[in-house]
Amino acid sequence: MALLETQSLTKSFGALRAVNDVSLSIEAGSLHSIIGPNGAGKTTLFNLLTGTFPPTSGRIVLDGRDITGTPAARVAHLGLARSYQRTTVFPAFSLLDNVWVAAFATGKSWRGLIWRKTGRFPEVGERARQALADVGLLAKADVPAREISHGEQRQLELAIALAAAPRVLLLDEPAAGLSPDETRKMVSLVRTLKGRYTIVLIEHKIDIIMSVSDRISVMHFGSLIAEGTPQEIQKNAEVRRAYLGGVAA
Amino acid sequence: MKHPTVLLIAAILLLPLAVRPAIATEIWIFAVFGLGLNLLLGYTGLLSFGQSTFFGSAAYVAGWLLKHYGINVFFALGIGVGVGAASAAVVGYLCVQRSGLYFIMLTFALNQMFYFIAYQWTTVTGGEDGMPGVPRPAFFGIDFKDPLTYYAFVSLLFLLSLWVMKRIVESPLGKILQAIRENEVRAEAVGYHVARFKLLAFVIGGAFSGLAGVLYAMLFGIVPLEAISFVTSGNVVFATLIGGSGSLYGPVIGSFVFIWLSESVSTLWARWPLLLGVAFVIVVLFLRGGVVEAWTRFWTWRSSKHKA
Repeated sequence: MALLETQSLTKSFGALRAVNDVSLSIEAGSLHSIIGPNGAGKTTLFNLLTGTFPPTSGRIVLDGRDITGTPAARVAHLGLARSYQRTTVFPAFSLLDNVWVAAFATGKSWRGLIWRKTGRFPEVGERARQALADVGLLAKADVPAREISHGEQRQLELAIALAAAPRVLLLDEPAAGLSPDETRKMVSLVRTLKGRYTIVLIEHKIDIIMSVSDRISVMHFGSLIAEGTPQEIQKNAEVRRAYLGGVAA
Repeated sequence: MKHPTVLLIAAILLLPLAVRPAIATEIWIFAVFGLGLNLLLGYTGLLSFGQSTFFGSAAYVAGWLLKHYGINVFFALGIGVGVGAASAAVVGYLCVQRSGLYFIMLTFALNQMFYFIAYQWTTVTGGEDGMPGVPRPAFFGIDFKDPLTYYAFVSLLFLLSLWVMKRIVESPLGKILQAIRENEVRAEAVGYHVARFKLLAFVIGGAFSGLAGVLYAMLFGIVPLEAISFVTSGNVVFATLIGGSGSLYGPVIGSFVFIWLSESVSTLWARWPLLLGVAFVIVVLFLRGGVVEAWTRFWTWRSSKHKA
């Protein structure tokens, strides 16, 4: 069953159709990748899904419920969490506080919001530690986020999304700017998350995509041009043109 | 900085020996005002240049009720907190729609609007002459007219305010406001309605400003027009930055430095604001954490010398 669906989703910026009539269906528990050249509209699609801005037309359906136009802060509570292509963390916070804030947001209740000490939310603290442990950063829990390496910040980026205990995890190029070695670590990390979460993954590096994805959708100039299993995509002539033939195709 | 509460209580006890009770009282009142601003400036990263709107409005309303209706002191304080919070809710609602420079200018512009209302509405506020005759009525035999009694009363309220603010900044709300300061986009994405949290910070800050405003009116027995002017808004920003906007105790220390300088040094040297200017430049260029940072740096430097 599809957990997350888009129906003819379109977003125009002036004359530019950044996302053009995109209909996607993400199966529960699957890892669904979205690939495409730079500027294909992948990140814009994520921004639409997470309510950063509303679509021009079309619908977004999460678990049978129409969530089109829901503002970003509400979307998080519906169970969609994202990571960013450009590292977007809380620099002065310790790693633990980074994930703590995300864990608290989607916690069971906000009772004690302005009075109880932050240390006295055991359930939130536990979830925050678990998220750090999942990405292998628990040993650095007390280090400020601005003092860790770029690779570790990418892991933290992911941990913040995990701390929300989401139903759908939207990962925007988790391996952006990583060395080959760090990339391998990130891939194995994503692999461990596979099955535990429904994941939508944007990625540039084709080899990563082919090895971890259940299904792949290909975007080009805002439109979906192909969808299928990794094997099918590899054989698809149109996809090859988009990637190899460039604009003229 | 190991035992701030002990230091603070010592300061409260010793201060009346060093300066006139009125000045000592004003220091703690201004500190309450600074605590409110710092929730916005230091924790949420919002430079509000219009805090006197809440300070002044509360002073006028509660002062007027004290003067004409003879309400009791605690009721007046409650009114002040309420008026401060309510005016901050209105101003905050308009200001949080924008960010950066536009935000600052909006807080300033709305401050000017309130100022001109007070300036024009002479039948109530007395305009430029201020609103004199604000009493300090006795409460169950406690004579607040006695300067030291009033000082003790204000000191207790200050300690209470400090404790409340400490609880707030150590709560999830404090963490969320700091998260907004650190990264607004991510704070929104993880599930916090940023504008609403900023508004909440405004309302809490406004309540503290209102409390300070009423205490101020009762201290001097008058609400001067200056209480609602941008000069007062600027002073509290100034004091908070000098003390250190990053920490809970920063505005307290800032208030101490600012009021002490303005009341004591001003009688010796008419051009004392020059000193403030120099202090301000030093803080902005070298000590972003203000006096608090200078203090921590001094102690790390000393302990590193002892080890060597």
